[in-house]
Amino acid sequence: MESNQTLIVLDPTIKPKVESSMMSERPESLNGLTIGLLANGKLNSEEILQYVYEVMKENYKLGIPVYANKENASKPCPQDLLDDLANKCDVIITSSGD
Amino acid sequence: MSDLSSNLFEFKSDSEAIEFFLNKGWTDGLPIIPPTVERVIQFLKTVPNHPSEVIGYEPVKSREITIEKIAINSVMAGCLPEYFPVVLKTVESILEPKFTLHAITSSTMGAGILTVVTGPIASKLNLHGGTSVFGPGYRANATIGRAVRLSVINTTGSNSKQIDKATLGHAGKYTWCITENPVSPWSSLHEDRGFKSTDNATTVFAGLSPIQVSHHHTQNPKNILRSFKDALFSIGPNQGEIIIILCPEHAIHINNAGWGKAQIKDYLYEISVRSNDEWNKGSHPPAGSHGGVSNDATLSNVALSPDTFTIMVAGGNAGGFSCVIPLWGSGTNSQSVTKII
Repeated sequence: MESNQTLIVLDPTIKPKVESSMMSERPESLNGLTIGLLANGKLNSEEILQYVYEVMKENYKLGIPVYANKENASKPCPQDLLDDLANKCDVIITSSGD
Repeated sequence: MSDLSSNLFEFKSDSEAIEFFLNKGWTDGLPIIPPTVERVIQFLKTVPNHPSEVIGYEPVKSREITIEKIAINSVMAGCLPEYFPVVLKTVESILEPKFTLHAITSSTMGAGILTVVTGPIASKLNLHGGTSVFGPGYRANATIGRAVRLSVINTTGSNSKQIDKATLGHAGKYTWCITENPVSPWSSLHEDRGFKSTDNATTVFAGLSPIQVSHHHTQNPKNILRSFKDALFSIGPNQGEIIIILCPEHAIHINNAGWGKAQIKDYLYEISVRSNDEWNKGSHPPAGSHGGVSNDATLSNVALSPDTFTIMVAGGNAGGFSCVIPLWGSGTNSQSVTKII
């Protein structure tokens, strides 16, 4: 049976709340900079960071790296650990292993 | 209608709307009830809050979850309006940071969301805790669990084709809502968590697929509980939370021997232990790695403590079949949440 009535239906989805942010300023060179290596706690996340660091070291004169591991891949990095890395490092590389 | 802020779509028929939702990826793969303005308003009338009220925030995908959107998804799931306060409180529970919702809905480990509704409201809404408790045929169970899943899919964008990367997943990811069997000789789940028996509560767990445990030949509590040993070892050591669903037959035998939940937990803890050497021979991560145990003869338990175990009674009165439900992330990275409805 056809009806002339139209059906008004609601959208069940939610759009992300977008916040604009700027990328931090990129250094012109990595020479002489301190690199932070932040692993995410997954298996092999430290190994892949170390590998990346070794490759970078072949191309740049890097300072002593700062190692950190946020331990839990499912939760955000603790703010105090982020603050500490921000204070000590010029550049931070993070990784997700498995 | 002016209180509602969602975008509107116009269709000539229910079937046209259903096809549109399926094509958009806004369902679980099954047809839905089209969430018309009239239907959604009926649901919203069951709670005192304004539709625009935010009940929680999902930080990874940056979504503010409103009451209106949960009402829309509850209509879609086939709920009755009187189920809506339960769905709402359950979604509020999964948005608690300690539940770690994003990880549960995206992880390869493939957890479902098990909702357990307890208190007088369970019988009032005809929630089922008996025969074939995880099976089909009970509207409140089927649609409340489905409303939670559809809410996750649509309000956080976690559909199976994009965010959900479960290797296997399991059937509980469609819908998974139960209550306890009222024949239970013990206190209910929310009483065990400090609430009154007269309270209505919803509890959410990030449950992996259940492992069924069979025992028919004795009525001895130790024999019955030893049947759980192999299932427990399959989970791995150092679990923060594990669900034990005892079928009524097992629960009654154990209770007849004078044992309560405390003795059950202590005994399960006592028997689910083995050497680290033994753990490391299996699928468990090697010593020194993430989640690994040391490689020696020292003992590691499946559970961090006897309180790791949450004991519930559910299922049919006939049959000696219980189950173990492991939780996502060793039951530590996601923790269960109980809220009063």
